[in-house]
Amino acid sequence: MSSPQDNSPSHHSLAFRVMRLCRPSFHAEDAVLRLLDPLDLLAAEDLLDDPALPAESVHRLSDPATPDAAAAGDFTFRDRFQIRNPVDAMSLSGLLVLPQSFGNIYLGETFSSYISVNNSSKFEARDVIIKAEIQTERQRILLLDTTKSPVESIRSGGRYDFIVEHDVKELGPHTLVCSALYNDGDSERKYLPQFFKFVVNNPLSVRTKVTSFNYCITLENTYLEACIENHTKSNLYMDQVEFDPAPQWIATRLEGDNYSSDTNSKTRGIFTPPVLIRAGGGIYNYLYLIKSTLEESGQGKADGSSILGKFQITWRTNLGEPGRLQTQQIYGTPITQKDIDMHLLDVPPVIILERPFQVHLSLTNQTERTLGPFEVSISPGITSSEEKMVMINGIQKLMLPPVEASNSSIIDLNMIATKLGVQKISGITLFDVREKKSYEPLPDVEIFVDIIS
Amino acid sequence: MAAEELDGAGYIQTTTVSDPLLSSPTSALDLPFDVPSLLALARRGQWRAVLDAVAAARRGSGLHPHHHLVCLALSVLSLSKLRRFSDAAAEIDALDAPFDSSRFRFEAYPSTYPGRSGSMIPFALRFLHADLPQRLGSRSVTVDRLYALLDLVQSKIREETTGASNELWRRRQGFLLAALCGNHFVHREFEVALALVRQLLERDPSDPMLLSRLGYVQLQIGDLTGAKASFARLESLHPEGERTVELKNLVGRNRALEFIVAKNYTAAVREYEECIERDAADVVALNNKALCLMYSRDLSDSIKVLEGALERVPTAALNEILVVNLCSMYELAYVSHGDVKKSLSNWIAQVAPDDFDPSCTRT
Repeated sequence: MSSPQDNSPSHHSLAFRVMRLCRPSFHAEDAVLRLLDPLDLLAAEDLLDDPALPAESVHRLSDPATPDAAAAGDFTFRDRFQIRNPVDAMSLSGLLVLPQSFGNIYLGETFSSYISVNNSSKFEARDVIIKAEIQTERQRILLLDTTKSPVESIRSGGRYDFIVEHDVKELGPHTLVCSALYNDGDSERKYLPQFFKFVVNNPLSVRTKVTSFNYCITLENTYLEACIENHTKSNLYMDQVEFDPAPQWIATRLEGDNYSSDTNSKTRGIFTPPVLIRAGGGIYNYLYLIKSTLEESGQGKADGSSILGKFQITWRTNLGEPGRLQTQQIYGTPITQKDIDMHLLDVPPVIILERPFQVHLSLTNQTERTLGPFEVSISPGITSSEEKMVMINGIQKLMLPPVEASNSSIIDLNMIATKLGVQKISGITLFDVREKKSYEPLPDVEIFVDIIS
Repeated sequence: MAAEELDGAGYIQTTTVSDPLLSSPTSALDLPFDVPSLLALARRGQWRAVLDAVAAARRGSGLHPHHHLVCLALSVLSLSKLRRFSDAAAEIDALDAPFDSSRFRFEAYPSTYPGRSGSMIPFALRFLHADLPQRLGSRSVTVDRLYALLDLVQSKIREETTGASNELWRRRQGFLLAALCGNHFVHREFEVALALVRQLLERDPSDPMLLSRLGYVQLQIGDLTGAKASFARLESLHPEGERTVELKNLVGRNRALEFIVAKNYTAAVREYEECIERDAADVVALNNKALCLMYSRDLSDSIKVLEGALERVPTAALNEILVVNLCSMYELAYVSHGDVKKSLSNWIAQVAPDDFDPSCTRT
């Protein structure tokens, strides 16, 4: 099906025919069949509501074994009309169909192709040396070479076939170069090259995020989130997604409970829902707990310089066609250990325009000495013209007493919104009065400001 | 060929035709044509003849309301089979009232159907009405109608009627669940397809066809472990000594698929050959065997298997997928494949039923 891009002007006895040979697919005959039960076609749907109806006359309509009125030797396409079993409406007879187009090729897959060298001339071709190779920007990979044992003869109307396979490990343009060197009918030595071009794309992207949570000074957990996105045009079945940690780490996959609505199901056991990522942008998330194999005190921090490990991913498509990829090394995120952790605990569910409301902040001193006193205020926007629609109600600076080492305190902050609709609480900033140190403002929080209903 | 059948005795049975006011009430099973002849035409795929027969019946006098509806159902089916989808849709639109209108109930005609109640609509008509939009480019309308029809069927099952009626509606429920599953599969909505197969298996956990199809969906997804488990369950629920030929072949073909997944094409071919020996018309085995030969680098023999199937068991083998596969093989095998495909097309035109899709030869 690939059309050859052949620049040779002379007439050749031989020609290459190439067909990509990825695995076949099942066909569901949706198009024409629509198998039906004649009873559903020839009688009212509520026919059997009448208990007095003679059974044989109904049976006569429905029974698929009723012999045809025509002679025995006649053609019958009964199975294109009459359903035997209601479940046959699913079709899916098990018929396999060959790949109907070249399709897309992705990194990690195996490129497989049927190559047929045809002799469409009236003369024999002799001493045929056939070569097939893949050329990319970086290299040439030889797939087949019959130089050592040339094909003695391809008769007129005959063929020499071979199948090549190549694990795709590079992105970008690839060319399958097929060439035949042979003696034609006039004993002239001829050379036929044919080129088949295709492009290899990236099937997946893996986005990772490493987060460390400090539960207290001595216990720190590192979590690795990985989001796999499918860029191909097929649904991908994730056969294996494994995180291979570097030697100093142990990784445990964390999964949600498999929610199954039927605890008493007859089909439980043969039915584990597969992890299937949809074509063209579908995603799936994985979560791992990373723990250090070394002593906890101090050495096990997943900071920016440490390698956590990498992912090995095996996916499958129709009839188990596999693809395999390995990610690059994943590093821990650089941690700026904050002395003070401040975050918003809660925001009221209903906020009314120009009516004061309270938010609660939590302030944790993550060092080993007392810090403070502090001031909490709303810092002005980046540009002076940026107005804050949500402000502190009352005195614009809230004074807080010092906080001892490893201690937390809860702060009430009285606020007021001056504009309707979706607004942001932004710019809440903490200032350590004694050390004259200002901390990064809290991340913005969206709220909805309503009028009194 | 069609003309002779039409002129034969009785598409219009004169005995039931009379003035509705004077005639005795009619049976809901009486039809204005000879049912066995019509079914024979349908089974031979002679849909143009069916269409003509229905048109002739409609021209007759003394047709009762349920006659019109059955003729409509047959006409819509024939037009669909002939791929005249707009015409089919137009016929239903001409009804000018929804299927649930009281006009289409027996109670509306007490003199014609004394003491009878219920809907006169043939169930197939509802199904065809749901199926048509996707043929005309609106797949989402088809899916909506099919699920609405499923709701209707399920409410009928809950009604207290006769045992036979209940069983009939349960069969229809299975039919719809299966049709929906196939629809979702074609559109690669595999998770929904799996959920529907699962629902069907809840009703009949040991059905070998269902277990096989579950396996096929799992194989299509790439879930090899799941497919293996489904096939194994089938084999354990239906031990070897008790299998019919059909079941033996089903098991054999499933085993062959597992060999294909492992790329062991020789073993797969052996399984298929055993199936063909038991049943020479096992088209799935014939077709899939040919593909295995091709994947084993034996294009010539793969072509021979398919051509041989068409020659020896033409009515079983003549299906669009087998032809698509054969044409793909021709395109690979012959530089100038136009001629060989043309002669295949010509042979098909002489032998194929009216509803055969000629575009599968890509000529």
